[in-house]
Amino acid sequence: MTLEVVGFWVLAVLLVGSALAVVLTKNLFHSVLWLALALTGTAGIFLMLEAEFLAGVQILLYAGGVVTVVVFAIVVTERLVGTRLAHTSRRVLAGGAVAAVFLGVMLDILARAPLAPVMVPMGADPTKLIGMALMTRFLLPFELLAVLLLVSLLAASYLARPEE
Amino acid sequence: MSTLPPAVLGLAAGVVMLLFVIGLVTYVTLLERKFAARMQSRIGPYRVGWHGILQPIADAVKLMMKEDIVPREADKRVFNLAPVIFLVPCLLIFATIPFAPGLGVADLNIGILFFLAVSSMEIVGLFMAGWSSNNKYALISAMRAVNQIISYDLPFLLAALIPVILTGSLRLSDIAVAQDGLWFIAYPVLGQLGFLAFVVASVAAENRVPFDILEAESELVAGFRVEYSGMKFALIQLGEYAHVLGTSFLGALLFLGAWAGPGPEWLGPVWFLLKALGMFMLITWIRWSFIRIRVDQILQISWKLLLPLTMLLVIATSIVVVWRSGPGV
Repeated sequence: MTLEVVGFWVLAVLLVGSALAVVLTKNLFHSVLWLALALTGTAGIFLMLEAEFLAGVQILLYAGGVVTVVVFAIVVTERLVGTRLAHTSRRVLAGGAVAAVFLGVMLDILARAPLAPVMVPMGADPTKLIGMALMTRFLLPFELLAVLLLVSLLAASYLARPEE
Repeated sequence: MSTLPPAVLGLAAGVVMLLFVIGLVTYVTLLERKFAARMQSRIGPYRVGWHGILQPIADAVKLMMKEDIVPREADKRVFNLAPVIFLVPCLLIFATIPFAPGLGVADLNIGILFFLAVSSMEIVGLFMAGWSSNNKYALISAMRAVNQIISYDLPFLLAALIPVILTGSLRLSDIAVAQDGLWFIAYPVLGQLGFLAFVVASVAAENRVPFDILEAESELVAGFRVEYSGMKFALIQLGEYAHVLGTSFLGALLFLGAWAGPGPEWLGPVWFLLKALGMFMLITWIRWSFIRIRVDQILQISWKLLLPLTMLLVIATSIVVVWRSGPGV
């Protein structure tokens, strides 16, 4: 077994385990922490695929940023509601069905995609390629995303304004 | 890639770097105490060893001997895990810093992104500590920390982007090499303003005075670490100083030309270390000169001044770079 295979299995177990823990933990705060671990594990998978830029962004945005916001939301709501929040939803059937459908779709995509038996080495610096692609071919969607973010920012400040 | 020797070599480099950083961080605390004492016409630590040179070791031994207390109502697993989660990102940031051409643990091609991403993980550990202590001071402190770090991550990132745009690379060694002729702090207008924004944002991101609302001895005792004692307290302290030192190294690399300096080439790491310590002294100087500012003032500085300023600087830098490289790129 090469280091890559070992690394993959370690990451895979970590990722699936922490993802399950996110859903199965009753304590909401703990499940956010498991989520942080799962997101960091995803960054590890990106690193193994030599997508360093993606891994960096994954950690910066999700593990750092999103978890921060989620944690903040939980603490503030707990204070407003006054009780410890816990999620006890145990709809195993519905959840299982959704997961099964999703797994089917994923397997279908995987079966259709041509997969190289060994990893193809990345040609140029992927960071540069991503930048080029964003600024030329995908400029319009990129700008639209920026507008979307601006709209959500404005909406948030409108909602949060003090009552007159 | 899958053979063993490089992996072992990498591991050895990591261990050496870790020991170096921990040693440095330990002694940097003495530097700060001496410096602060001088600023206040005191002598500072003096009794342990020559001029208090053994004081950090005495402190470490004392912290190791102390009783390890876990509050009864604390969320024990999270409480015990938090110092480690807090410390690991603070030490990881050193992995990507090159101390001389080719002398570093990993010269990643996303160097600065790695630094920023990893240091943003620190907040998870901080919040775990504040929340699991089940203490209202700790919780308030952790909430303030999140608030402040959300606000200052952006200006910090944008300020760090200025040298990146000037260099055209995220790799830290490229940024250092690009300053061979002219340190980026000497770059007309952009360099100085960028450096200023970087210093302010990094002081805030490190939660130091005048941005230390989450510690605020007079209102929150010691903030998120109030329930910690002994070795766990030491780990948090270590993480905090490692973060300050890491940011000092980053600042020296981004704006002060890293290992550039007079003398033979092997003096490079020494110059780099001296510049980083200079950055550290600057931050310490700010810490012991100003008073704490209010929460709303902190947020105003961030959102109404620093963020637009750094945004403008980034745009201006891009224009300058495009203009200098001429048409048709």
